[in-house]
Parts: sequence; C-alpha cells; structure tokens
Amino acid sequence: MRPFLSYPRIPDTVELEIVSVSVDGRDLPYSQISRTEKTVALHQTGRGDWDLATLHLKAVLPDQEIADGPWSDVVCLAVLSENSTNVRSTARLAKGRDGTWQGKIELVRGRHLRRAVLSLAVVGEVNGVPGRAIGKSEAPWYLDLKESTPRRQREIKIVEADFREASEEWLRGFKDSAWVVATVEDPEIPIVYLNTSGVEGLVEVLNGTSGSAAEKVLRDTTTSQIAQDAWIAMFHTAVSNLDQDDDGTPIMPTGWQEPVLKMMLPDVLPGRQLTDALREINECRTSGAGWAELQTNIQFAAGKRSQIAKKLTGAVRTVDREERSEP
Amino acid sequence: MSPQQGEKFGSWLARQLRRAGMNQAELADELEMTRAAVSAWINDRAEPRPETQRRIAAILGTDSASIYNRTDVAPDLPLQWHHRSAYKDGGREYGNAAAFAFNADLSALAREATQNSLDERYDERKPVRVRYTLEELTGEHLDQFLAALHWDELREHYDEAALLEQKVSRSLKAALRDLDENKSLILLRVDDYNAAGLTGDEYGDGRYTAVVRRQLDSRKESGAKAGGSYGLGKVTLWATSRFNLVLINSTLSESYEGRTERRVVGRVDLPWRKVGNEAYAGPAWFGQADTEPNRQQVSRSWWADEQTVRDLHLDRLSDEPGTSFLIVGAHDASGTAESLKDMHEKLVIALAEGFWAAMVGGNDGGPLLEASVVAMRNGRVVVDEKRVDPHTSHPALSRAFKAYLDRDTVEELTTSTQVARADVTLVVPPRKSDKRKQGGGHHRAVLLVTPAGEDDDPVNQVVYMRGNRMTVMSKRPRELPLGATRFHAVLLAGYATEQTGADVELAEEFLRASEPPEHNDWKHTEELTSVYARGALSRLREFRVEIDKAVRQLVGRRTTVRGEGPAALRELLKLDVFGPAGSRSRRNVPLVEITRGDLDDTGAWNVWVDLKLPESDSTWRLTPIAKFDVRSGGRPVVAWKEIVPRDNCREEDGNLVIEAGVRLASFSGITDPSSHPVHGNLAGLIIDIQKSRGGAL
Repeated sequence: MRPFLSYPRIPDTVELEIVSVSVDGRDLPYSQISRTEKTVALHQTGRGDWDLATLHLKAVLPDQEIADGPWSDVVCLAVLSENSTNVRSTARLAKGRDGTWQGKIELVRGRHLRRAVLSLAVVGEVNGVPGRAIGKSEAPWYLDLKESTPRRQREIKIVEADFREASEEWLRGFKDSAWVVATVEDPEIPIVYLNTSGVEGLVEVLNGTSGSAAEKVLRDTTTSQIAQDAWIAMFHTAVSNLDQDDDGTPIMPTGWQEPVLKMMLPDVLPGRQLTDALREINECRTSGAGWAELQTNIQFAAGKRSQIAKKLTGAVRTVDREERSEP
Repeated sequence: MSPQQGEKFGSWLARQLRRAGMNQAELADELEMTRAAVSAWINDRAEPRPETQRRIAAILGTDSASIYNRTDVAPDLPLQWHHRSAYKDGGREYGNAAAFAFNADLSALAREATQNSLDERYDERKPVRVRYTLEELTGEHLDQFLAALHWDELREHYDEAALLEQKVSRSLKAALRDLDENKSLILLRVDDYNAAGLTGDEYGDGRYTAVVRRQLDSRKESGAKAGGSYGLGKVTLWATSRFNLVLINSTLSESYEGRTERRVVGRVDLPWRKVGNEAYAGPAWFGQADTEPNRQQVSRSWWADEQTVRDLHLDRLSDEPGTSFLIVGAHDASGTAESLKDMHEKLVIALAEGFWAAMVGGNDGGPLLEASVVAMRNGRVVVDEKRVDPHTSHPALSRAFKAYLDRDTVEELTTSTQVARADVTLVVPPRKSDKRKQGGGHHRAVLLVTPAGEDDDPVNQVVYMRGNRMTVMSKRPRELPLGATRFHAVLLAGYATEQTGADVELAEEFLRASEPPEHNDWKHTEELTSVYARGALSRLREFRVEIDKAVRQLVGRRTTVRGEGPAALRELLKLDVFGPAGSRSRRNVPLVEITRGDLDDTGAWNVWVDLKLPESDSTWRLTPIAKFDVRSGGRPVVAWKEIVPRDNCREEDGNLVIEAGVRLASFSGITDPSSHPVHGNLAGLIIDIQKSRGGAL
C-alpha cells in the first residue's frame, strides 16, 4: 500500500520523460529509448566503451493544483539510483517557458552495474516544514546498461553450450545433463544452460520451429519441463535470502526475484496479500514447519507457469491422432 | 471594347433592352435617332459616341460608368421559383442518385465542402478561409426568413412531394412536420473567402453551372492539385438540408455581366411531383425570370442588393471573392448531433480531422486553409466562434508537417520531439497513350516520422496525403517489429510534397487515378488499368512496401539477436513485470486502505482503515500491523495503543474477526507514540494485514 503521510501530497501523478540521451556527447538513436516501456537501452553494439551518459529530461507537473494547494518552494528533482551499487544522485529540473520542467542528469557508467532507475521527486514546504516529498512519478524509468533493445521485461538468460568443454568449469561436472538452471552464477539474472552434447539433437529440436508432429511434441514437453525446473529453482532462490522488517516480516526483494515472487506467490499461497504470503513462506522455511508440505504448492505454481498441463494435453492428442492414422 | 471586359457593347445593350422590356425602335425613338443606328450598335458594327452613351445610360436608368464596365442595369424584376417541367418521355426521378452515394452527415459535408473551397483557392499567397455558421431561427426571425425565401411558393411543391411513397418523401414529411410543430429552423452557412467564387456563364460551362445546374460535373479550375475528381462533393450540401434546399451567394473573382458581388441563386432538389395539373421533374431554381428570348420562364441568378442578402441570411463578411452556401433546415443525417452545440462540435472535429495538414503553416509559407465554426440563435452567438487549430487536435502530426515545411527534419531520431524524414520513390508507369512507353517517371515522395506521446491514440499509422494536403487514408505499416517506438507518420506524395516538377504532376495524376470515388485508397481502379500501362498496380504495391520499409528503418530496432535460446522456452521464462499475474492475484486478497489519518497532540497516529475482502466461506481472523515506511531495509513496527472495530468486525486479542461473506469492514486505531522510532510527522505510515497466528484463513 501507499504510505499514509501526515501532510497532503499532490493528488495527481507526475509524468517524467527521457527526451533524449547522449552518450559521451553522441546522441543515442531514439529507437533505444522507449516511452511506453519507460526504458532506455544504453548498450550499443559496435560501439566501444563509454563513460558518461547525459539524460535530457522533461516533466509535467499539475502546476495549477500545486499553485492552489498548501505547498510552497516546490522543487522538482530527478533521482537516479541503482540498488546493487547503492548509488543515488539527483539533479534539479527547472521550469521552462512552455510550462514543463526540464533538465538533465548524468549517468556515470563506472558507478552502475546493470540497471539504473530514474524517478522524479517533487519536494516542497508543507505546513511550515520544508523539504517534504510531496509527489513522485508513478513508474520509474529503467536505464539498462547491458541491453541494446529497450525492454522493461527481462528474460531469463538461456545459454547453449557443450558442457564437456564449457568455459564455465563447473558445468563440466554436469556433462551428462541435458540442461541445468543456475540462479546464482549471475546475480542479475538466472541462467538456463542447455547442453549441446548431452542428448544428441535435442537442442536442435528445441530451436526448431517446424518439423514433424513428434518433433513438436518433444519440443513442447521438453521446454515445459525445463521451464518448470527453472521456476522451482528461481522460487527457492528468491525466498532463501530475504531482508526483514523489525517484526520479522520479510521485505519483497528487488531484481529478478521480485517478478518471480509476484508471479508465483498467488499460486503458492492463494488468497493472501503478497507480504503476508511471503511472511508465511519465510516462517516455514526458517522453522522447517510445513516447508515440506509447501513443496507441492511450489510444484503446482511452477507447473502453471510452464504450461505443463496444456503442453501435455496437446502431446497426448497428437500421439492419439498419430496412432489412429496408422493403418 | 473597353480594356477590362470581354463583352462587346452590342451584346450588353441587347441584354439591357431585353431586361428593360424595350425594343430597338423604342430606344431609337427616345434617342431621336434611326433604328438602323441602334441596330448597328447591337450588331457591333459601330459604337455610339460618348455623348450618346450618356443618353443611353440615362434612358436605361444607369450611368456611363456602368456602360464602360458593361455592368448590367439591375432591373427590379421579381424573384420567383422556377420548377422544371416533367420530362415529356414520362421519366421520373424520385431523388438525386448522387446524393445517395454519401453518408450525408456533417462530417461528410465538412470534408467535401471544405475540399472544394481548398481546390478553388484564389490568391495562392493567402489561405482560403472557411467559416461555418450554424443559426437557429424561431418566431419573427423565422417568419422574415421564410418570407424572403418565397416559402409560400415552395410549400405546395413540398406538400405534394411529401405525399409520395418514396424514401425522399418520408424525410421531407418529417421535416415539414417539425417545422410546423416546432416553428424553428436550423440554417448552416458555409462561407469561403479567397476562393474563386461561382464564376462563369449562367448556362454555359463554368464553376457556376457546375455547382448550380449540373450533376457530377467535376470542374476544378485549379486542375491538377485538386482533391476531388468525381463532382460528387457538392451534393453533400443539398443532402445536409432536410428540405434539399440551398441558397447561394457568391462574390466572383472574375466579373460576369460586369459584376462580381452578390451573385445569388437558390436551388431545391425535389422528386417528381404533380402540383395542380402540372407535373414537375425535380429541381427548381430561385432567382429572377430570365429575359433571354428562349428562356422566358427560367429563374436565373441575380445581382442582389445588400438588404436582400441580409434577409436571406447570405450576407458576407467582406468583399473578398468566395461563395456562401446556405443550407436550409440543416441536420446531421447520422443522428449523432442534434443540438447546435453538438453540431458545432462535430463540425470542428471533422474540419480538424480532414484538414489539419492544410491548416499547418511554416515559417516561410502560411497555411493553405483557415477554418472556424460559430453557432447562433436568432442573430445571437450561442457557441463562440472556434478557430480550428491543428496543433491542438493533431499535435504530433502538425509538428511533423511544420518541421517539414521549415526544413527542420532529421535523418535519425534521437529525441521524442524530432521529426525524421526519409524519401520514398514512387515509380509512375507510362500511360498507354505514350507511344514508345517512355513516359512515366520517378517521384520522390516524402515520409515523415515522429515519436508518439504516451497516451496518443491511434498511433503507428501512416497518413497518406497528396494534392493540397488531402488525407487519402491511414494505414498501419506491415511487419512492424514488436516493441518498436510508437510513432506518427505522414507520407506526402505529389503536390503535398510542396515540390514542383514533371514528376510531381505525374505522381499526382497517377495516384488520383488509383482512388475510388471516396478518395480513400490507392488501389486498382478502372481508370488505372485503362489509362496506364501494365504493371501500374505492382508499382503501387511496391510503393507501399517501400514506405513500410522506410518506417521500419526509422522506428524499428534490430531484430532479435540470435543465440538467445529456443523461442518456445523463452516464452515460458518471461519475467512479467506489469503482466496480468499481479492484478489477477490482487482480486483474491484482502485490501487495506487508510481513509483518514491524523497525528494527535501526543504524537500518536489516529487512523481509520477500510478492509476490502474477497469472497470467503470461513471467518477472517486478521492482525493489523502498523509500520513506518522507509526507503530501504527493514521497516520499524509501531505498536497499537488501541484498536476499535467500526463496521462489520469485532476485536479479539488485538485481532480483527470478520464473519464469512462480509466484503467490507472498517476499524480505527491509535498507535503508541512511545514505540515510534521517529516523530510520526517525519514518516509515512503503512498497515499490513496478516493472517493471525493460529486462526483459520
């Protein structure tokens, strides 16, 4: 829920837009800035290292309401931060002639790792108290340092490798597996490794888009199975290291763990508020009581995400049809 | 012959004599000259001396300046309605077929009438100004108007026409009934200024006859740039009138009969009807009886005085050339706009929609068109004159167009306000008539793309334009990559590029030939296959493909890089940040909302809290927990001093108990200030609802 404050805030939401970005003085193509996704892809293939990105910003505030309201000395600040590097910097926007607030903020590459977050904070004096936060932008902008396509939604990384001679040495130990899921190798995103030498031809079938009915059945059921493995592993990883409030209530994590939990918790513990469900799971896990019983629910939630039932229904139908058509 | 006029003295004098009802002998007598002398003037064998001309002027009741300018002596002939007699072959028309080709709502009227005005722009350095005036007349104002219109003469024709069992008759009947019962009439006047006006002869070829006397006569003096080509547009004027009645007042850009101002005529289109013993064919004209020998009964346009145009609500704001069409009994045939205010709004929207581009001006050249709409009742303004502003109605597209006019476009987009330009080639095939198939050519059409705003709708469409910035269609480019920048785009072809040259003209003609009567597509038409060499359709198709490709290049992103893993697997492993999963789950969990909260004198929070609960078969047992919000890390819990159940709940050991089936409950609570880590004033309060330990959920 939105915290309740002892002073009035601006009722309307505040809009922040990244108008353009220049990277070391060169303009970033606008196709790498997405207003709908509120995401900027800073990585440019074929371009070498860079040091500094300057973001040109524009914000629209409900100026009339602010003028009529109890706020004074209103300041509009852009806030750039990244949790994993614990960096936070701000820049002031100034009101332009056209009524919008404009300004720029610099993103120093060396201070960020993967995804910086840009939001807008409106600060002003209320009831004699200066410097209160009186408004902020609804959804923040993401500045992705590793992507060349501005996509808010992240995808789990999938790596195809020959495990026998993989550069990641630990993979060699799994040379007989068809796939493995690694949730801690890269703190930013889980990785699914597909073994090109584990089951001869399997990866080719998975990558195919056509082929025989049997091939499709194999592709559908296998991808579902891999996905289920991945979701179970991700869920366990996500709940295994939670920060807590004073009273022991776990805090929803950030990063990839957040969407994983938000997507799965409603199926793991239906009918609960997210924080409440998280609390229960954390209790089960740390005390051990009910943890084993919970596994069934986690299996179920992961199965649902992986569309196991749907894919298997399709597979059974196909097999059935094939058999009938045989002479 | 006087320098400015084309008319010879003889023909002018002959007409004046007819009008005055005099013959040559009578004039000769008055002048005390021979009939032969008068005959010589009339047959242009001689011209009278200035002294004689002055005397002729005096006899005709005019001045010598009028003779010099060949101005007609305005005879005070009575105004009349002339109804066309039924065809001798017994043919009957129960309506105007051209009128049925349109959905005659106000949008169609605004589109067609304004396009005609635009096509007739007179001074190319200035915009055409169109002004739509809605006026409702009641009481005295209505009576005066109907009297000026000679309504009584028309009424019996209307009554007979309304009795027929025809489509047109039914709507006429309703219109007459409404007029009788409500005693009110809505007029819609469409004025244009800086347009050519209805020039030309009363009966011969010209703008006047194209509009007033003929059907499907597409006469566009500005030729190539014109939008229309089927001569259908003007029909919307009549179709908008519930009485199929339109009055016209035109100020001409080229004089006719030595005059330019207040050429007035009226026309009504009725079905075949019998009045008394006479059968009538269809149209009737309002004007003066013609004095030409073989057209004695026909009503012709007349040069009206200022009072008459005022009485007919046809007075114009200035003496600039242009035409005023007064639609009597105007209505929106779609039925969506009935009040003056709705009609006003619909016109404003239609004008913005159809002509935003023509209304955009650049730093060098102004707009082609200005448009405004006003609504009045009995001479009083009820909806203020609203100037249609393209930058308000179509901000992004107007910005794109202005950037193009100001040569302010870029090759690659780097900010959300830029406009990118790409040239797209249209190959115009040769005409079949070109002997060695060497005609045709390459036309560089212009594509403009600018990023769309977040809430813009619709987006990702290319607006296709030609001619004087006429919108032909809007289409979404094919194969847009997913996640491409949302955009607005305009394609300018032919004259819309503001360029000149042979290729522009060729492209314009070619594209116009490929448009159906609605002018809303570029595709196969009969004209296209009959005029152009084989392959014309393929050229159009290639053009579309090139345009789509150019759009993709400007807004698209590189397609997915290979090596990201099997698509089927990726699909199952998406981390859905905003997806429906979150909102779906929310429906089945209790929701908390602090509806009111104050800090009291002791520093404690006093809060009122609503709980929204999903359907449940069992009793809810919930623990409300208050916390102070922090930016990161653990949130400090604050203790309750008191929890008071308010609605639909009770308290048990600090828990709230809510019976099964209850969907909304509320409680209030006071926190214990001694448990606050900071003063309550300095932090935000949040409340978690947890399933209480040991209870059943």
